[in-house]
Amino acid sequence: MTGKSLSGATTVAVAGILVAFLVAAGCVGGQPSDSSGSQQITVTGSTTVLPIAEKAREAFEESHASAGIMVSGGGSSVGIKAVGEGTADIGMTSRDLKPEEAAGYPGIVRHHVADDAILLIVHPGNTVDRLTLDEVRGIYNGTCTNWNQVGGPDTQIVVVGRDSASGTREFFSEYVLESEDFVKTQEEFNSNGGIQQKVSRTPGAIGYVGLGYTEGVKALALDVDGTAVEPTLEKIKSKHYPISRPLYMLTNGEPDGLARQYLDFIMSGEGQEIVASVDYIPVQG
Amino acid sequence: MKKEQAAPVPFRGFGRFRRPEAGIDPSSAGATRQLVDKIVGKLLFLVALFAIITVFFIIVFLLRDGYQIVLETGVWSFLTGPDWNPAGYNPAYGALPLIVGTVLVTALAMVIAVPLSIGTAIYIAEIAGPRTREVIKPAVELLAGIPSVVYGFFGLILLTDWIRIAFDQPSGSSWLAGSILLAIMAIPTITSVAEDAIGSVPREFREGSLALGATHWQTIRMVVVPGALSGIGAAIILGMGRAIGETMAVLMVTGNAAVIPDPITDVFSPVRTLTGTLGIEMGEVAFGSLHYHALFGVAVVLLVITLVVNSAARLIVSRMQGTARPGPHRALTAVASRITHAASAPFGRVVPPRTSQRGAFLLMSLSVAIVLAALGVILAEIVVNGAGAITWEFLTGTPSDLGREGGIFPAIAGTLYLVGGALAIALPLGIATAVYLIEYTGDGPLTRSIRAAVDLLNGTPSIVFGLFGFAFLVLFMGFGVSMIAGQITLGLMILPTIIRTTEESLRSIPGSLREGSYALGATKWQTISRVVLPPALPGILTGAILSIGRAAGETAPIMFTAVIFSSRHLPSSLTEPVMALPYHLFILTTSVPGASAQKFGTAFVLLLLVLSIYLAAILVRRRYNHAKVM
Repeated sequence: MTGKSLSGATTVAVAGILVAFLVAAGCVGGQPSDSSGSQQITVTGSTTVLPIAEKAREAFEESHASAGIMVSGGGSSVGIKAVGEGTADIGMTSRDLKPEEAAGYPGIVRHHVADDAILLIVHPGNTVDRLTLDEVRGIYNGTCTNWNQVGGPDTQIVVVGRDSASGTREFFSEYVLESEDFVKTQEEFNSNGGIQQKVSRTPGAIGYVGLGYTEGVKALALDVDGTAVEPTLEKIKSKHYPISRPLYMLTNGEPDGLARQYLDFIMSGEGQEIVASVDYIPVQG
Repeated sequence: MKKEQAAPVPFRGFGRFRRPEAGIDPSSAGATRQLVDKIVGKLLFLVALFAIITVFFIIVFLLRDGYQIVLETGVWSFLTGPDWNPAGYNPAYGALPLIVGTVLVTALAMVIAVPLSIGTAIYIAEIAGPRTREVIKPAVELLAGIPSVVYGFFGLILLTDWIRIAFDQPSGSSWLAGSILLAIMAIPTITSVAEDAIGSVPREFREGSLALGATHWQTIRMVVVPGALSGIGAAIILGMGRAIGETMAVLMVTGNAAVIPDPITDVFSPVRTLTGTLGIEMGEVAFGSLHYHALFGVAVVLLVITLVVNSAARLIVSRMQGTARPGPHRALTAVASRITHAASAPFGRVVPPRTSQRGAFLLMSLSVAIVLAALGVILAEIVVNGAGAITWEFLTGTPSDLGREGGIFPAIAGTLYLVGGALAIALPLGIATAVYLIEYTGDGPLTRSIRAAVDLLNGTPSIVFGLFGFAFLVLFMGFGVSMIAGQITLGLMILPTIIRTTEESLRSIPGSLREGSYALGATKWQTISRVVLPPALPGILTGAILSIGRAAGETAPIMFTAVIFSSRHLPSSLTEPVMALPYHLFILTTSVPGASAQKFGTAFVLLLLVLSIYLAAILVRRRYNHAKVM
């Protein structure tokens, strides 16, 4: 039973299994291309843009019963990669393409569907109502560690931010921090909701989030040349509130078929109302 | 996960041998049977190699995307670099704070979990009456069944707040929070393996000790625990393996700041673990960037650490099975006797045996109480807040408004699809591998390497499976984010559990049954399929059920491979992504504001699903344990 010579059999077997493994996987892997002709598209990428895509899908499928739109998250990089490689029909991104991405996928077309602002949020019990950009920078680069340095109570500041792969963090870093490093004790979360929950439960915390995440927290006004600018829709739209960025949907080449209809729907009046209803800034009308 | 469920079952299969074709033997039919036998043997051998191949593929695909970071920074500065700042102006890829974070969180978790688990294990095995045992043992095992994202959810909502207020800290997200959570998660593993070890100390030892006039506690302390020490050591290391590989719970409570606590004993400092780094950064990292490769480098480091821990466990277990008692074992025994001695003589003077017994039993009851309280608090929090959200519409509807309204039916169905597919892949492979290992070979180098591969798979963190599934299935094979990719990933993850439980189950079938079958002229395959497998089925079933529970509750392996945020339809083909309960809960908790009721409702449904699966496993085992007695 145990004395069998296995060396020859082993080699053959390993080779055989490897081939079987790859062939089997290859067969299944070949399937997605078969279904591309049907009325089905996939939308993937930034979790920031996702609420727009999702709500728009719900409304769009009301009127187009046969259409199947599948929306998934994953992050801006996933969206860019997926649309560039052709594994998704529409990508979503909350940042612009990096030079290497633009070079790698020259066919990508950007569709500017909405604008987003980044809010600075604190615990509702915090007495601070406004900060200058310099103060925000001081808090995030670690030179300012107590709320009494910016006119608040004598409480240690708990700095909360996004993970280092996040598009939101990258934008915040470039715009506010002017590419200085974040303070190393910054607590990191991989979502806007995580930051919002953390800040709503921690009296000394400050965080940055997208527009919709204000439940249980207080959004700070920014002090621009001595006047406090509240992050209201009008102020953001008129660019008085300084920290805002565009949100894109991406297609590989000009869209056609269902992808075209879906994008047109988002850019229509009804679609832009949806954009506003999920707390982003419409770009049309 | 559990070893002892492989209860021998009375043999009921004699009737099957009276069939004519097994007795009188026309030579052509005999030749066919011989041929079938040969082919089956070869096939099983091929399948058994699958575990080795999987391990090989995991290592190859992690290295394939991870080696670039080492080329860029050098091995040494990657491992010992003090800064992890991939998005900085001057990107820094130093994994040291992450490694230190993992070590610290795991170490403190063990400091909390080990005394509690061993106290509980001794209580269950030695002190509790049969009634109490029947309640406590399943309760501890239910702790193992709670999905890790539910733990994280609990930690985020209750634990960090409690730490912030109770210790008057600015923030509760900390090393301590991560360690407490990991301790609760490691307790069931340590307790059940340690309890097995204590239970396997021969009864005669206890009787001898008691007959010499020793008290119950003296017997436990001087005879039972030293006798079970190697098993307890293995239990601790297995629990440690679970703690190191945990992702979803840890990343929700540790704060994820990549710093080394200053001073190093500051348990309230935020820390970041290797797994947490993968969990929060993998989703959005730019493909092919240095950061992406650095994350795969982190995964390799994580794999190596778990490999070391698991090899240590293997070594200890093999020591335990051998008769030799080498140096390390003696040292361990000495340490254990010092500790128990100190426990029973707290002021340097030996207190009367009765008093020390009372004190020791009190401490053990206390540890049981703490463990049960932890279970109670978690269950109560979720049941109280979640039961209200359960309506017919919630269970059968589809989500709308980002999950704030509507139901979670596609997520329930998706979880069942994923688990069903994983089982369809892992069950045949696992059973075939186990049959080959037990019935076809002895203890050769090949068998040993297959077993080592299975152990390695068993210790591989679920997030590493997720990364492998992403790199291999989603990208390399071009499956995309799809149900099939998730099913295969989950299938690989539960494969070792199925192999191990099936092996245990087959081992418990007495050799005389096989010999009887051969003596009647049956071939090897006839013997296996008609004599050995039927009575081993209950054990295999328990293994399968336990794996279902694990697969249903996992988030990390599917979040990069199979899941979708929201879907109105059920998937119509294997290449479409699906919704899944654990991921839905993760997203509702971290990314959707104002979905509190749905959040608790989803947690409740997930908990109910996984716990009822575990309960089924416990019932199956109990039923067959009773059968054994009768």
